[in-house]
Amino acid sequence: MNILKLSALSLSCFILPISAQTVQFNIEGIQHDKGKLYIQLFKGENNFKKGEAHNVAIVNAKQGQVTVTFNDVEPGDYAIRYFHDENSNQGFDNNMFGMPIEGYGFSNNAPVNFGPPSYQQMTFMVSNVAVINSSTVNY
Amino acid sequence: MQRREALKSMLGLSAAATALSPFPALANLASANEDIMAQFATSFDKATHSNPNLIGLKSMSGDMPWQSLTVEGKLPKALRGSFYRNGPAVHQRNGQRYTHLFEGDGMVQHFNFADTGIQHRAKFVKTNKYKQEQAADKFLFSGPNSKLPGSLPVNKTDIINSANTNIIPVNGELWALWEAGSATALDASSLDAKGLVNLGENTRYGNSLKGLAFSAHPKIEADGTIWNFGSTINGDIVLYHLNNRGVTQKVNLLKTNYRGGMLHDFLITQKNILIILPSLDRDKADERLFSAIRFNKTLPMKVLVIDKNTLTLTREYLLDAGFAFHFGNAWEDTDGTIRFDASLYPDCENLHHMSDLMRGKTSDATPANTVLYTLYKNGSTNKQIIPGISEFPRVYEHLTGLRNELLVTLSSIQSDVWSDSVRVINVNNGKQDTFVYGEEFLVEEHLIVDYTQQEGNGYLVGTALHVPSKRTCVNIFKVGHVSDGPVCRAWLPTALPLGFHGNFLAAN
Repeated sequence: MNILKLSALSLSCFILPISAQTVQFNIEGIQHDKGKLYIQLFKGENNFKKGEAHNVAIVNAKQGQVTVTFNDVEPGDYAIRYFHDENSNQGFDNNMFGMPIEGYGFSNNAPVNFGPPSYQQMTFMVSNVAVINSSTVNY
Repeated sequence: MQRREALKSMLGLSAAATALSPFPALANLASANEDIMAQFATSFDKATHSNPNLIGLKSMSGDMPWQSLTVEGKLPKALRGSFYRNGPAVHQRNGQRYTHLFEGDGMVQHFNFADTGIQHRAKFVKTNKYKQEQAADKFLFSGPNSKLPGSLPVNKTDIINSANTNIIPVNGELWALWEAGSATALDASSLDAKGLVNLGENTRYGNSLKGLAFSAHPKIEADGTIWNFGSTINGDIVLYHLNNRGVTQKVNLLKTNYRGGMLHDFLITQKNILIILPSLDRDKADERLFSAIRFNKTLPMKVLVIDKNTLTLTREYLLDAGFAFHFGNAWEDTDGTIRFDASLYPDCENLHHMSDLMRGKTSDATPANTVLYTLYKNGSTNKQIIPGISEFPRVYEHLTGLRNELLVTLSSIQSDVWSDSVRVINVNNGKQDTFVYGEEFLVEEHLIVDYTQQEGNGYLVGTALHVPSKRTCVNIFKVGHVSDGPVCRAWLPTALPLGFHGNFLAAN
């Protein structure tokens, strides 16, 4: 399944398993309308560390807030990370030292403080109720 | 790039955020239960009652408007222009104090030498950090060495850029420098901050240089060409070549295994850049930037010789173990022999002394000596030690990277607390011409102002804090007659916080 289909999947309605839920993710503090937001949902720490996303979404940036909804999310622990591709080069740009120069963030609004947050700081549980989670972009 | 690749590039996000270099991961510091900063404040405040020298480490509450200074002697007619200095001036807020002298917010001291006399004003560099903390009347962010309980997130080094170490004129602006992040551009007339300098802007480097460390000790050649470096905790060293308008010409990244976490100064010759890696390690269990640094006497100092044309490493030399904050100058003989001087310490206790001072404690850190090094083409090296304590070395600006005979340093003859003297050393014959301010003075960097481009001519200009009267003065000496004392001295009515480095911009 290619990325575009995977993206569309997140925006579609399906007949969900009984226990599956939606995860609504609010990205706040977006500085401008340029570019897109690339958002990845991970199931479990191992998949997060390997970079193997459970689902992804790509949406146009909008100054202020953007909300994406992941449907069909089975119970488990999850984490989200995202970046704002501000210059639309379809990449996450870093400076020469490897420090981010485009906006990014994590679920639970996990803070970046002299280093990245841990998986434990950004993880949330999906069980039998819908989940709403938020993050403010780090620029 | 395909979108799949875009998402793959996110794999680096976690790792990238780790590279908030040059700092170690201080993520756990904010959750520390102990408020070390409050302990430092209490200890310092108590110590000020018994140690008057600590007056130089107090904080300023705000900017200082123009004022005319009381002048003793006669201001030389040849000396017209602006003497700028930079240094940390907020060490403490709301009962909390930074744990290292290098952390406070930068304040620019501006002395104007004019026909009407000498005027002074001072203005904090209005970084975002300063503005937020000044408005809140308390610290909001951890510093590189200080744990602030409940610190706001620091997601990039420039968030806590204090712009506190040096100030240089560049293309009509002033750049306030801090070695861990971007330069901060200031309006030369108002001293108002214009913003962080993005060195890649309008060049082929684009945003790839945004937020990179740009050290506080750029070397500026006689034609205005600027060379500099920046380093990370991981040993990455970026090298910069800027033209005389501050526009980036060439940049390269060196991957080294240096893990000392502190690289403050460097050198250039006509053909080469010299990066001198001191004999430092880090205590990996200690997440503070400066306090974690340990001297390793088994680790030789390493000189990296880098070609200025290509910015690539060409040679390395190993020297006896040592540590230096500052170097005066380097040059190259016609046969390729390299010579340079260092204010060399036998260990890094002086670095930690500057943490002790912040809690009002003086220690017996061994001072530095001027050491003259020779690096031969065959790989052998030689060193010569100049007697006397040495720090803040300077040479004639037009000789940066070229052979110099005279070297200016601070020294200490009577005081065991701070520099109390200034001297001119002839590096060819070892002769020294010294003026001792005396132990009642805390003497700061002195630099050479000369329009003739002739060693021995011109003036030395520098500041000193007179402790008993709680006043700072700016002093002017004839370079060839330093021991005669200043030909002119101008007094402020109050003491300024001790600062670091500065430069002189001649009047048009």
